[in-house]
Amino acid sequence: MTEPALARTKGAEQFGSSSAAASGQSGDRILETRSISKHFDATQALQDISFSLYPGEVHALLGENGAGKSTLIKIITGVLQPDGGEILLAGTPVVIRSAAEAQRLGIAAIYQEPLLFPDLSVAENIFVSHQGRGQVVGWRQMSQDAEAILAQLGVAIDVRSPARGLTLAAQQSVEIAKAISLNVRVLIMDEPTASLSAHEVAQLFGLVRDLRGQGVSILFVSHRIEEVFEIADKVTVFRDGRLISTRLRSETSPQRSISDMVGREMGLLKPRPRAAIGELLLSVRGLGRESVFEEVTFDLHRGEVLGFGGLIGAGRTDIGLALFGIEPATSGTIALDGKEITVRSPREGMDLGIAYVSEDRRQLGLSLPMSITANITLPMLHKYLDRFGLIRRGLETETAEAYRKRLSIRTSSVDLAVAKLSGGNQQKVMLSKWLNTKPSVLILDEPTRGIDVGAKAEVHAIIAELAATGIGIILISSDLPEVLAMSDRVLVMREGRQMAIFSREEATQERVMTAAMGQVSAPIGEVAA
Amino acid sequence: MKWLQRHVRPEQVRELSLLLLIIVAVVFFGSMIDGYYTSRTFNRIVSSVAIITIVAVGQTLVVLTRNIDLSVGSVVGCTAYFVGTLLGRYHDLNPLLAVLTAVALGAALGAINGLLVAWGRIPSIIVTLGTLAIYRGILVDLSGARTVTTDSLPGWLVGLPRLNLMSIGGLDLPALFMLAVAIVLIFHLGTGYLAVGRRFYAIGSNPDAAALIGLPIRRLVFLAFVLSGALAGLAGFVTLARYGNITVESGRGLELAAVAAVVVGGVNIFGGSGTVLGAMLGAIMIGTLEQSLYRLQISEFWRDAILGLLILLAVASDAVILQRLRALWGRADLKIVTEPPAEATVAAGARSP
Repeated sequence: MTEPALARTKGAEQFGSSSAAASGQSGDRILETRSISKHFDATQALQDISFSLYPGEVHALLGENGAGKSTLIKIITGVLQPDGGEILLAGTPVVIRSAAEAQRLGIAAIYQEPLLFPDLSVAENIFVSHQGRGQVVGWRQMSQDAEAILAQLGVAIDVRSPARGLTLAAQQSVEIAKAISLNVRVLIMDEPTASLSAHEVAQLFGLVRDLRGQGVSILFVSHRIEEVFEIADKVTVFRDGRLISTRLRSETSPQRSISDMVGREMGLLKPRPRAAIGELLLSVRGLGRESVFEEVTFDLHRGEVLGFGGLIGAGRTDIGLALFGIEPATSGTIALDGKEITVRSPREGMDLGIAYVSEDRRQLGLSLPMSITANITLPMLHKYLDRFGLIRRGLETETAEAYRKRLSIRTSSVDLAVAKLSGGNQQKVMLSKWLNTKPSVLILDEPTRGIDVGAKAEVHAIIAELAATGIGIILISSDLPEVLAMSDRVLVMREGRQMAIFSREEATQERVMTAAMGQVSAPIGEVAA
Repeated sequence: MKWLQRHVRPEQVRELSLLLLIIVAVVFFGSMIDGYYTSRTFNRIVSSVAIITIVAVGQTLVVLTRNIDLSVGSVVGCTAYFVGTLLGRYHDLNPLLAVLTAVALGAALGAINGLLVAWGRIPSIIVTLGTLAIYRGILVDLSGARTVTTDSLPGWLVGLPRLNLMSIGGLDLPALFMLAVAIVLIFHLGTGYLAVGRRFYAIGSNPDAAALIGLPIRRLVFLAFVLSGALAGLAGFVTLARYGNITVESGRGLELAAVAAVVVGGVNIFGGSGTVLGAMLGAIMIGTLEQSLYRLQISEFWRDAILGLLILLAVASDAVILQRLRALWGRADLKIVTEPPAEATVAAGARSP
């Protein structure tokens, strides 16, 4: 079993320690995609992607959530099949049908959360995907091989201990060792640093540089732009499923990359007409939840739309969950209409007039087999009982019909199961459900994700109308143009920290994205209005 | 077809086709068994159906919440034996009190299940598999393997199975069967018109969403198990009345019949959909099969095997057939939907309902 590890070190010599600068020629590409495209239903996830990876380079992929990086990675690792285009490996066209096949071809991926078997030993984890090596496990041999690989990486882990209990950084090292044992030529690292401490990141980067020195090509995806510019030789930017630019690190800058990332079309989005903003409604000071987010401070007024910008996982949803009482805050204060409040459960949140419309319609939002009517009235069912405690079906239907009209939910009947509606109409049912709780603070989490353009415009019109009735709205969205078009002010989060609050005039795509990716640029808006 | 699609939901088609299947089964057995179409056969089937139905109603409530209660057979055995012993000792015990004792004992046993599932966070299949064995074990130990016999019971109880409330065309409807029908009606309306019923469906169809709107999930799951236990207790009383002789084996295997009835009756085993009425149809199907196979002198092991097969078929067909039906209905809805809606634009300024 020493074979793969040795082969790796021998093979490395062939490539020498070529760096990005030396990889100008077109002949020695290790991986190339030609005009790859992929669509999911109506969304074009990737369009005509031609991309090259050279031996011994660290190539970073940058882009907003949904720009197409993950789809490309999934295609390269065989998880998804492209609709068109081809993949060439060392000049030969290949079809990669599964992740196992990708591994055989020398392509491996490491993710933010390592996928180890917690009850198997480190050595077993390293060699788990080696197949066809006989049925008998040679424990001694395997341990020695594992130790050899880890030593080569300069990592000291007991290979006989179970993977459970290893630090995240150690688990990453095991994943890398696994890739090396597979004689990997292309290593994809998808946000590997997201949960690592600064010290661990430095260690990981040391490993990455070693691998590069051995001729391994590394595709590095990260939302931390300073890390990208520390480790990458080349930077490719994606936007809306298209490859926007590929530049050598020495020829670009963080600012330039961000400009490439955010140059999104506003499309049909029209800015929401400016409406009168009323008195102070919600006042949040120093809000935090241990190791999730901290020191969040903002005000929300009646009739105001406060956008929450930032990347997925920046803690925006967690603030929403805390305000609604699902995962209560552990520090800071919330005041509603000038009175300090504590929200410990969704019931308390609802009673206080706070509503949270979840980002996940199917998982957290709707009871799909139940009717539209039943979904809408469920949170307020106690208001629909007659004096015998029986549900007043007539009143329920009245409510459902009223919302069907108001939000133009398209359905043949309000008795239809929600499962049968389109995404946009499901979203409207969910909005109806929460509007029926008569909230004064409405938290909308990704209200237009996965719905078509027409429905999106309708949801935007609904948001504008709701704000006009004096509801204070917190709009969490990863769709930057949407946040900018709908919001009166934009609060930007990054890794659980509040980076800035921009006024409508200050908020530009570049400013928001720069704050979201950790590059602080002037001017930063005031902390509270 | 259009009329059908407009007036019947796919879930109801399932119930209608089950009704059809019952008729087919009756016709089939009628051609196989001499003297099948007699009031005697009818009475046997009906009194067997009564017990399965009452247990299946409770099972439905539990299954709706995405749980399962495997202990019902043992609960039936325990209550039948305990109340039988009680009545054997105190002949002048008030009949109503005897029924209430059975229900209360069943509810208490159900409460133990509910506590362990809702607050102990142990999967219901494990909890009730455990209590299935434990309740039976306690019964065997406390009874010392003695049997309750008919002659020890008071006369009113022994005469109960022959008490008919009404008869239609020479077919008698015994009081015990009518009791089951009453239970079905009460719980069918209860799940449809009480807030608690709606919440059972909500929990089963999406527990996370139910938590998000602040439903007391644990209390509701606990309640479902208590009701299932209480109804099993009532079924225990009916079992005592019907058979008179109660051994420690009494009620054994009833969980299989109850789960089969529920699943065959179209209640989704993953919770959230199905009706009590459907479960009753399932129970009628199961009862008809059990009694008819008995008449055909097929061994009880084969009868159980056939029940098992029926469960598998029901669940498999649930996945396949209901999908198809929904797709068919879905297309019909689409046709209606594509007509331009009256209010295509957001009714700006529309008053809040």
